[in-house]
Amino acid sequence: MEPMDRLENLASSLETVALNGFQGPTVDNGQKDSSTAEILRMKEQMSNQCFEMAVKLQAGKSKRSSCSASDAEKDVLDYANTLEEAKIIHFNKTLALHRMQVWHAISEKLKQSDPEAVAMRGLTSCSLDLCSKIKTLQQESCELQCQITDLQKQRLDLKRLTHEKMKEMDELKRKREHPEAEKYRNVLQKGQSHLEKYQKMATITQNVLRGIIIASKVNWRDDPKLRDIAMTLEDIPISEE
Amino acid sequence: MSLLKPFSKLPGLNTANILLVENEEQFQQKLADTVVLQEKNVNVNVRLARSLPLPMENEESRPRIDLVVFIIHLTSELSFQSAETSLKYLDPGYFQGKVCFLVTSARNVSVPPERLVSVRKLAASLHCPLLCAEDQTTEGVTTAAHRLLAILKVAAGLVPMATGLYLSTLTRCTVPSDIDQQNFE
Repeated sequence: MEPMDRLENLASSLETVALNGFQGPTVDNGQKDSSTAEILRMKEQMSNQCFEMAVKLQAGKSKRSSCSASDAEKDVLDYANTLEEAKIIHFNKTLALHRMQVWHAISEKLKQSDPEAVAMRGLTSCSLDLCSKIKTLQQESCELQCQITDLQKQRLDLKRLTHEKMKEMDELKRKREHPEAEKYRNVLQKGQSHLEKYQKMATITQNVLRGIIIASKVNWRDDPKLRDIAMTLEDIPISEE
Repeated sequence: MSLLKPFSKLPGLNTANILLVENEEQFQQKLADTVVLQEKNVNVNVRLARSLPLPMENEESRPRIDLVVFIIHLTSELSFQSAETSLKYLDPGYFQGKVCFLVTSARNVSVPPERLVSVRKLAASLHCPLLCAEDQTTEGVTTAAHRLLAILKVAAGLVPMATGLYLSTLTRCTVPSDIDQQNFE
């Protein structure tokens, strides 16, 4: 495996170049940046490049002679997912680590007594006061909310009760009319039919009498008794029946 | 056969080399100028070629190529064919995140849509990203240069925690299935 040996040699020489402190080809960036951040960046780059070449070597060594493309596709997806999960876990752990470092630094600072620490302590006490105030206010608002909900519940209950009472009243009213109406209805009907009958009779009699008086051409105005009778005759229209 | 190999030379310090392969040789110059102007932190070298294989004369002086970009103009069939034939002269190690396809005039009405589909199929089969670029406006050229620089920096190993192989799993071109295409039409 001649190309693999060459790669190994190249990788090792790259490593020596890195370790010997950038004696490689000069960079055309203008001036050679020698700040620590730049050097660290270079280091990261070189380690990344070495890693790539190492991966290539690894792939070359463990090459299977017969592997189907579809199986390889599925494997690639699985590996990509595992890689993604590993990256996420690593990132979360780095974040947690940074958080712990920051907290450690802050706590160390607070223990000291230079002006920065004094300012920080003032700030922390301020924020503690504010937090306790917030807590009390939140509790108050919670209590008020509870009271409001209680009142609303009571109101709803009262509403419900009034509704029920109204319904009951309606029921009672209807019930009361019903049996009493039952008893009197028959009597009322009988009375009404009697009344109608006698009314008809009275109408007919009056009409007949009017007819007789007119037809007999008697002068009813002169006779006081006849005049009284004629004046009491009503002009009741004849009903349809 | 003179294959172009990705790991046959040492990488330069804080350097990235990109090779633009274009049959018509019109867009590569503009793109090259923009790419070099945009990047301030990294030393970017742009090499231009019409097609592969590269001439043997400067084999020794040529640095390690980190990214090979095939520029395909959809307006001509010859562009695509020349890119296809050039592919044979690349070592398979390049197709793990060190090759990119750049397509121009994809929005042109006079371009037959089958050409773009075939370019997409080619890019998908090789697991390479496919970029579309606007070569007529300076804004388009700047955008294309910006995106190429992003891929180049990863392919050259200058971005920590990312390698070309990893990026290629994220940026690989996909071809919509036939069912989707029918519904669209």
